[in-house]
Amino acid sequence: MSDRPAGGKRQRGTGRDPEEVLVELLKTVRKCALAAAGLMLGLAPAAAQAEDWAKVVDAAKQEGTLVLYTAFVGQPSTRLVADAFTAEFGIPVEILEARASEIRERVRVEQAAGRFAADVLFTSDSQTKVYVAEDKSVAPIPPSPSQAKVKGSFDMGDLPFAPVMIIPYGILANTNLVSEADMPKKWADLTDPKWQGKILADDPRASGGGYATFFVTHEALGEDYHHQMAKQKPTLTRDQRESQRRVARGEYALYIPLILTDAAGLKGLPVKAIVPEEGVPYVLYGNVLLKNAPHPNAARLYIDFLQSPKAQAIYAAQGHGVVTEGAGEGLPDELKAIVDAPLLGKTDPARLTEMMAKAKKIYGE
Amino acid sequence: MTATYRDDGGRAMAPLSGNMLTRALTGGSLVRNLALGVLIIFLGFLTIYPLAMLVYGSLHTTPPGIAGEFNLNGYRQILTERNLLVLLNTVGISFAKTIPSLGLAVLLAWIIARTDTPYRGALEILITLPFFIPPVLTAMAWGMLGNPQVGVVNIAWRWLTGSDQPLVNVYSYGGVVWHMCQYSIPFLFLFLVDAFRAMDPSLEESSRMCGATRWTTFRKITLILLLPILTSSFMLSLIRGIESFESPLFFGTPAGITVITTEIYEAINHRASPDYQYATALSLAIMVLMFTLVIWQWWLLRGRSFQTVTGKGYRPNITELGAWKWVTFGFCVLFFFVTVVLPVGQLLLGSFFRFFGFYTYDMLTLEHYRAVFANSEFWRALRNTMMLGLMGATAVMVLGSIVAYISVRTKWRGRRLIDAMAWLPWMMPGMVLGVGFLWAFAMLPGPISIYGTIWALMLAYIALGTPVATRVMTGSYHQLSYDLEECSRVHGASWFQTLWRILVALAWPAFAVGWVLTFFGIMRELSASILLYSIGSEVLSVVLLKLWSAGNAEQVSVIGLMMMLLVILFRWVQIKLLNSRISKL
Repeated sequence: MSDRPAGGKRQRGTGRDPEEVLVELLKTVRKCALAAAGLMLGLAPAAAQAEDWAKVVDAAKQEGTLVLYTAFVGQPSTRLVADAFTAEFGIPVEILEARASEIRERVRVEQAAGRFAADVLFTSDSQTKVYVAEDKSVAPIPPSPSQAKVKGSFDMGDLPFAPVMIIPYGILANTNLVSEADMPKKWADLTDPKWQGKILADDPRASGGGYATFFVTHEALGEDYHHQMAKQKPTLTRDQRESQRRVARGEYALYIPLILTDAAGLKGLPVKAIVPEEGVPYVLYGNVLLKNAPHPNAARLYIDFLQSPKAQAIYAAQGHGVVTEGAGEGLPDELKAIVDAPLLGKTDPARLTEMMAKAKKIYGE
Repeated sequence: MTATYRDDGGRAMAPLSGNMLTRALTGGSLVRNLALGVLIIFLGFLTIYPLAMLVYGSLHTTPPGIAGEFNLNGYRQILTERNLLVLLNTVGISFAKTIPSLGLAVLLAWIIARTDTPYRGALEILITLPFFIPPVLTAMAWGMLGNPQVGVVNIAWRWLTGSDQPLVNVYSYGGVVWHMCQYSIPFLFLFLVDAFRAMDPSLEESSRMCGATRWTTFRKITLILLLPILTSSFMLSLIRGIESFESPLFFGTPAGITVITTEIYEAINHRASPDYQYATALSLAIMVLMFTLVIWQWWLLRGRSFQTVTGKGYRPNITELGAWKWVTFGFCVLFFFVTVVLPVGQLLLGSFFRFFGFYTYDMLTLEHYRAVFANSEFWRALRNTMMLGLMGATAVMVLGSIVAYISVRTKWRGRRLIDAMAWLPWMMPGMVLGVGFLWAFAMLPGPISIYGTIWALMLAYIALGTPVATRVMTGSYHQLSYDLEECSRVHGASWFQTLWRILVALAWPAFAVGWVLTFFGIMRELSASILLYSIGSEVLSVVLLKLWSAGNAEQVSVIGLMMMLLVILFRWVQIKLLNSRISKL
């Protein structure tokens, strides 16, 4: 698998292209071929795999520790999942957190200088594409038992990325300023002139939630939607958490996009989290195995664990969408609405420069 | 008027060649050169080496460690009309905040050090507090106070006047400047207040005897004598203003205000791939511009002497203000109320409620305090930060004292070089310099493993603190007369005794102020910390970032308030010690 660089990257994304269909077809054929080869190699592949996996688990325990770098800063889920992993396998997880650009530069420099410190990197799939294309710091992910449980819609193709959970984006409204009848129900409702000057928005011209939402709604609702949104004169900011509070305090009626996962932490404030009917723009997060990982088996085990029902349930309970079936079972209704929200789409890193320029054109330099 | 300072033209060499300390060292010029060489290498490693990595980054299409080619694209890209406007905007904002800040700081320093204003001991500690609060917290507090829709100040204004227009809007140029002033006024004040104190009033008295008015004396004697410290602190503040990031990000971005640092931030964080070539080229170009300011200061101070602390006994002249002392007192209290009570009051109040700004009975809670105290990572980070702060601040002040001593009180060859080197880290925006340190430490030859250890942080902090440490000590040494050293040696004191009893004892107030400034500088530093910390060596600023990113603003406030308590404690101890020292002298 490692002999395949990120060649077909450009086609990934919206999935309307006939070329895409062809690529999918080829992939299916390749998978069948691989499966056939697997069958020929072993008489009882499942048993052999289980035995192999037991060896991985043993070796991981021998390695004794796991070093995780994460660009998902400050979120309690990271520790919860790591603790669950330690409880299950007795392997402590050491975590280093920093923002996406900082983590990337650290990983890049460490790899370039031969100071291999990290095993696994928790980041988004779009960042992973950049790591693969430019930094060459990512190793292919070997097969593991939990991979089979991941929904087909999260098939990553050749990308060496093990999807884990999604960060969904919605709308936040102040319930003192917006009556139940006036509540926007979908993204398209935001262009109603009554919201002019009343929207606080994460900056669509800077990578982050604002840009992700811009990209996805631009693809789904068209460019004109954003010309109308620009006429609403939204106030653009760069601090997502503080912006939620500003809406709660009544500075603005609406904030977009709300990281829907944050909704639970806002309970008690006069705000309402809205899952738009068209669906949620989202960022897909998952694990990457780094080259020359000092604890390769622990890394494999950890990557597998994050796709297991136990870890998936932890993420669902935190309000994240998850990548396996059934993890949202038994959750309270409002959390389930977020976890099961229809997905509107995600960004395509290959088009970042183009779309960023467009955002600047529409919303001003 | 020219009597206010001595033009040393003819006499310049005389006191210096007679300077015992210098002579003691010239005796063993080999040892001296060797020591100087070590110092230059050490400073070079801390300042030139990371900058050299950044120069490489600006000239190379890819960052160190990745194949690419050399070209000038980074520099070509920065030469745009838009960038010129952004630069003018940035410099304009920085002047707009530095000039009034310096004016206010001089006024406050004069009130505290040279008048009989009541309670000035307590006021001295209180008015400096805003400097020590993480900017993100004061930004949040001012956002709550001064937003045009529901800001507390504006609600009060509307209620009082019946107007439907807001009084203030912090999301504006004014807001950016105001937020920066919160930091530069106390910073400048700390720099100036001891210089005001360490002043032999004889020159001022002569001026008054010759018939000059109080105001003329202040202008032509006091201020001119303070020229080294005034220009030093003005430039530190101006340069910091150009590099300021939080204020324009919070209050400028929503109003469409772009400055150099937000432009650099964008190039690193908001492009398809971080554009280090552009970001480093832009930073280095700005650095060259800033360096012209330093050269201007050298030119301004050349060949002059500003000695005010001499062997003759003196007490700083305390102006008795009569009834006016209540006006100056009122002014300090007003300043304290506006810059400390308003924002910090919000933080303190908010820390006892579930959410900031929602002050109802049922929201009262101690959960934020409990969460912080129960957070083991917080304690570990606090321990690391205290260790780094105590050791780092001490090391940096010793280094700064040595650099300042050599550059001010000797004529050694190479003194200009080390003085210039000590300026360098101040002229790079933190987020770029942090990358420079990362590259520098990680790319060292394999066996030298600084990267990934707590020493990487320590060295970065020492480098980052050196400019302030050196400036504080430079200002102080400028004031000390050479006759004190000579006198000490004539009376048979050893070189070391002289150093300890005269230079250290007399420059001690400056040393202490510098120590507190650098200690809290270390506590707050994030840009380099986040790129250099390793597992186990987490520091407080990283923990604060994590809490902030998770939406726990209230917990961040709890920690911010604890940091402020620490400041009060440190300053109190320092001022107590200082007083006992002064009374002994």
